[in-house]
Amino acid sequence: MLSTRALGLAPSLRQATFSPARTHVLRNVIRSSLTKRFVQTQSLKPEDGTTILNTQRLQRPSSPHFTIYEPQLTWIGSIFNRVTGVALGFLLYGFSLAYLVAPGTFDSTHVIEFVGGLPDAVKYAGKFILALPFTFHSFNGIRHLLWDSGKFLTVKGAYSTGYAVLGATAISTVILMLQ
Amino acid sequence: MSSSLILRSTLPKALIKRSLFHSSTQIRQATSDRFAYVAGGPIYRGTVNDPTTFPPSSKTHGSYHWAFERLLSAALVPMTATAFATSGTNYPLLDGILGLSLIIHSHIGFDSSVVDYLHPRKFPVFGPTVKWTLRAATVGTMVGVYQFNTNDIGLTELIAKVWTA
Amino acid sequence: MSVLNQAARRLAKASIIDVRSFATSVRRLQAEPLQKPVLNKEFKIYRWASFGSPCRPTFENPDEPAKKPNLQSYTIDLNQTGPMVLDALIKIKNEIDPTLTFRRSCREGICGSCAMNINGQNTLACLCRIDRDASKDSKIYPLPHMYIVKDLVPDLTQFYKQYKSIQPYLQNDNPPEKGEFLQSQEDRRKLDGLYECILCACCSTSCPSYWWNQDEYLGPATLMQAYRWIADSRDGNSAKRKEYLQNELSMYRCHTIFNCSRTCPKGLNPAAAIAKIKLDLAAD
Repeated sequence: MLSTRALGLAPSLRQATFSPARTHVLRNVIRSSLTKRFVQTQSLKPEDGTTILNTQRLQRPSSPHFTIYEPQLTWIGSIFNRVTGVALGFLLYGFSLAYLVAPGTFDSTHVIEFVGGLPDAVKYAGKFILALPFTFHSFNGIRHLLWDSGKFLTVKGAYSTGYAVLGATAISTVILMLQ
Repeated sequence: MSSSLILRSTLPKALIKRSLFHSSTQIRQATSDRFAYVAGGPIYRGTVNDPTTFPPSSKTHGSYHWAFERLLSAALVPMTATAFATSGTNYPLLDGILGLSLIIHSHIGFDSSVVDYLHPRKFPVFGPTVKWTLRAATVGTMVGVYQFNTNDIGLTELIAKVWTA
Repeated sequence: MSVLNQAARRLAKASIIDVRSFATSVRRLQAEPLQKPVLNKEFKIYRWASFGSPCRPTFENPDEPAKKPNLQSYTIDLNQTGPMVLDALIKIKNEIDPTLTFRRSCREGICGSCAMNINGQNTLACLCRIDRDASKDSKIYPLPHMYIVKDLVPDLTQFYKQYKSIQPYLQNDNPPEKGEFLQSQEDRRKLDGLYECILCACCSTSCPSYWWNQDEYLGPATLMQAYRWIADSRDGNSAKRKEYLQNELSMYRCHTIFNCSRTCPKGLNPAAAIAKIKLDLAAD
């Protein structure tokens, strides 16, 4: 465009395009090549929409969750409650089933003898590992019972009771360890 | 110039024809397998305008279960406190009830975890396997605790003695 | 050249005279426009698109196997940005990367469109102030554990289907003979803190139980609305509404984790609403 204007050829070209006889071929070429629509429509049945949508759905990734969510007392406490509960349950089930299978090796005298023979450091560590889940699960259980009876059902209440549980757990764990 | 233009105009046509062929075969194949509903998957039941449905109502799985769990947990509080204060050998009945309650409490807790993480609708084989294993283990544990409480010194006494061993 | 210079000088003189005629003091005349210092802050934003690269989408082939989601980093000058995270997102979309995709509408916390996970917590981008501490980057993810349509846009189909399932409308077979349903002030007060929900899905997608079981568990937002209709004195269908929830999945997957109430950008309390449904059902 710029070049035609610069050369002063534009008027003559314009004239050429408007003269019908000569432009007939040219116009056909333009129509067949330049004005060709690259996008074509295709008719779809209504149910094909579902297919297209479902094809896209299958590609969708699931957004990240616990790896990116801010660690908060609310859900970390809840997970800890479950983990401690399951751990204590495993201990109860494990010991009872062991006693059921082999009452000779897992009777009280053997167990007490075995624990008595452990070094003090292991004993304290063991007491800590047992006391912490037990106290936390117990106190947090009471917290849950309070919630279930309709008390402390606010974010503030959840946090104050949460910190109370943590404090009570710490104190009682230390007390139990010193027993 | 014009030849390349013509080429450009015919190329998409060919492409579209090919993709049309592809999509029509896809549509034919995709009726059941690819778009089958998977629990938790990106394909939903019904259209976007259909509401989700509810599982069949059952108070046993609903409010009765919930209330029983709370009552049992609440009962465990004084029981545990008493167990700290007294000796199990003096009160074998308390020891028995505490043991049984702890097992049921544990069973409900385990079961709740299974429902949360390994529900049969998502794990059609592994889920029920775990569920029945848990049930068997619970029965076994009950027998074991009963044996221990009757033939041995009992749970509370054991914990007390191990703790000071 | 010198002609131009002369003209410029003349223009400058003229403008000084103009300004002087409006200025009230010499000091104000000499005052420089306030230049705020540049405060660059990095925003790391979750990007994913189903076709091609998220930066240059090629629309020719929507069936192309999608790339994995990634975090893309954008740095903007906070002193040239509005105070909220949504302002930052709009600035990035306007000035840096027009392909960044997110939902937004009212920019004042009433439509619930711009719900997303900002620095680890679900909230509305339009109500969340940008942390002015430029040394820390700001991470923006879509709502957690949702299928992603594109970038920060999650597929909320299931969420809406669940909301529909609790039949969120007044049902009463015995309308008053004349006029409208009347309600005591006390009964009306029971709906406060329930009806304000804008269904932004922040609470539901913050709930770990909803993460694991969202195909069956209704989630805090829907359950709070369920309670909103159970608690309504004008509704006559509460028995049926409660019966629907009597199974192990629809409501009892709630373990009172409290993430929902903690995260609600409107300050509502879905956890308490669910606890009240549980008490209601236990009393039945």
